[in-house]
Amino acid sequence: MINTKRSWGVFLRYFYLFAKFDQIADLLYWPAIDIILWGLTTVWMQTHQPGSNIALIVLTGLIFWQIVWRGNYEISVNLLQEFWNRNLVNLFATPLRLREWIAGVLMLSVYKVFIAMVFGVVFVYLLYALNVFTLGWGFLPFVALLMVSGWVIGFIAASMVIYYGQRFQMLAYMSAYMFAPFSAVFYPVSALPAWAQHIAWCLPTTYVFEGMRSILRGNPFPWSNAGISLGLNLVYLALSIAIFYWAFEKSRGKGLARFE
Amino acid sequence: MSTILSVEKLTKIFPGKPPMTAVDGISFGLKKGEILGLLGANGAGKTTTIHMLLGTLTYTSGTILYFGKDFKKNRSEVLQNVAFASTYVNLPLKLTIKQNLDVFGRLYGLSGAEIKKRSFPLLERFGIADKQDMTVTQLSAGQMTRLILVKAFLVRPLIALLDEPTASLDPDMAKEICSFLLEQREKEGLSMLFTSHKMDEVAELCDRILFLQEGKIVANDVPENLVKTISHSRLELVIVEGMEKVIAMAQEKKLSYKNDHRLIELEMEESLIAPFLIELARSGISYTTIRINQPTLEDYFLQMVKK
Repeated sequence: MINTKRSWGVFLRYFYLFAKFDQIADLLYWPAIDIILWGLTTVWMQTHQPGSNIALIVLTGLIFWQIVWRGNYEISVNLLQEFWNRNLVNLFATPLRLREWIAGVLMLSVYKVFIAMVFGVVFVYLLYALNVFTLGWGFLPFVALLMVSGWVIGFIAASMVIYYGQRFQMLAYMSAYMFAPFSAVFYPVSALPAWAQHIAWCLPTTYVFEGMRSILRGNPFPWSNAGISLGLNLVYLALSIAIFYWAFEKSRGKGLARFE
Repeated sequence: MSTILSVEKLTKIFPGKPPMTAVDGISFGLKKGEILGLLGANGAGKTTTIHMLLGTLTYTSGTILYFGKDFKKNRSEVLQNVAFASTYVNLPLKLTIKQNLDVFGRLYGLSGAEIKKRSFPLLERFGIADKQDMTVTQLSAGQMTRLILVKAFLVRPLIALLDEPTASLDPDMAKEICSFLLEQREKEGLSMLFTSHKMDEVAELCDRILFLQEGKIVANDVPENLVKTISHSRLELVIVEGMEKVIAMAQEKKLSYKNDHRLIELEMEESLIAPFLIELARSGISYTTIRINQPTLEDYFLQMVKK
């Protein structure tokens, strides 16, 4: 069972940090820069290809990719916070269970994804008058699926961090980007070389981005894409959590105090 | 008094080539209201033992029973009544005192209102009530240590595992903390496992001491009995003239000594002090100051560490 008070404590532990200026800037600054840079580029490209919706495809891809990245970041970087603060022992010397920590960071992840999404959608609309809600309600299941994909990457990165320590901290930032080229965020899977396409179809993110482009081309909601993505996500999430538990137990065997 | 923590044949072997045995089959109990000191040189296994008792380090074999319950199977439940404070771990640095206590209180299942109600008297007692909105980074090392203690006692534990809790405190605050701990024992029946390198503090606080050496318990007794095992007293003399003769006499009698300028400190059995002083007088050695120091827990510690 999960003790909700303890999970709420975990949520607050990182939420209080989030209220600091640098954390807010971190949440909004990079998406804003991406939207400005890529938005201007694609709007300019669209002037040479009238009638295409390249700007909407790229900007929706950008906002959606932020969800994957944010899902990963909230798990792996919040774990790293405990390393940076020499607080890992303090935290797990309490009655807190690992599953309660996981529940707390996942709650925070949902909250931050929501803020990042709202910011991205409003910012794109204000700058380029493009409405990401063109996707309709399909928007919501896609967001949920991408967030879960981000969690999967986050748990894998967190497993490496809890097992090996801070020397693997770059994974917290980099790991999501390793999947970006194969996820066909801005281009169709067919644009990838044949060998890369095999990898792409193993990723739950690919089905979402393909589905997103399909809707933007005017097709109905691609239920099959959503279903496959959901199935893959559930399998990968279960696996990644199992790996995280295993790495955490192995790390306890060596002693969490070795990181302090 | 009932035993509320029982440790049986606890062993920790770190794998490697060769494997390293950090704690080697130790057994002990902690009674309700008892303060148990855990002493030993660096690397003796004190901190490893504490981390196994907290569950932040798994053990290779043995059993830990808290309140009669197996720790491995009931970790979360028993830790509800166990607090931990150490000078060697931090709290989230960018959070304020108030936020830190809010977070840690909730990890023990307290509500926001309970946390507020319980934390203020403790913050006042430790002299940091006016700093509640300061972040941990803004606190001095001593204030940080006091905050860690407030965090530990916020949950009104039945057992406190304290790893050098007064290491970074100035003497008056360290004394205040010691009297607080004794008060908690008297009022709440708190039991404590306590490590410190301040032997006077250990002697004052602890009912019983476990001395660890290379992962094994080599002594388990009340402080007074441990001190009694030291037969040597220390004789301090400030020599006016004849230091060479005094050193020659010490060497002849195979006494352990150390000298610095005109001061010499000799270790000998108490019964030998008077004859030694008579011999000095007969040899025409004059001294201005004489001090005989009875053995202390520190002497015991040093003797054990030298072994």
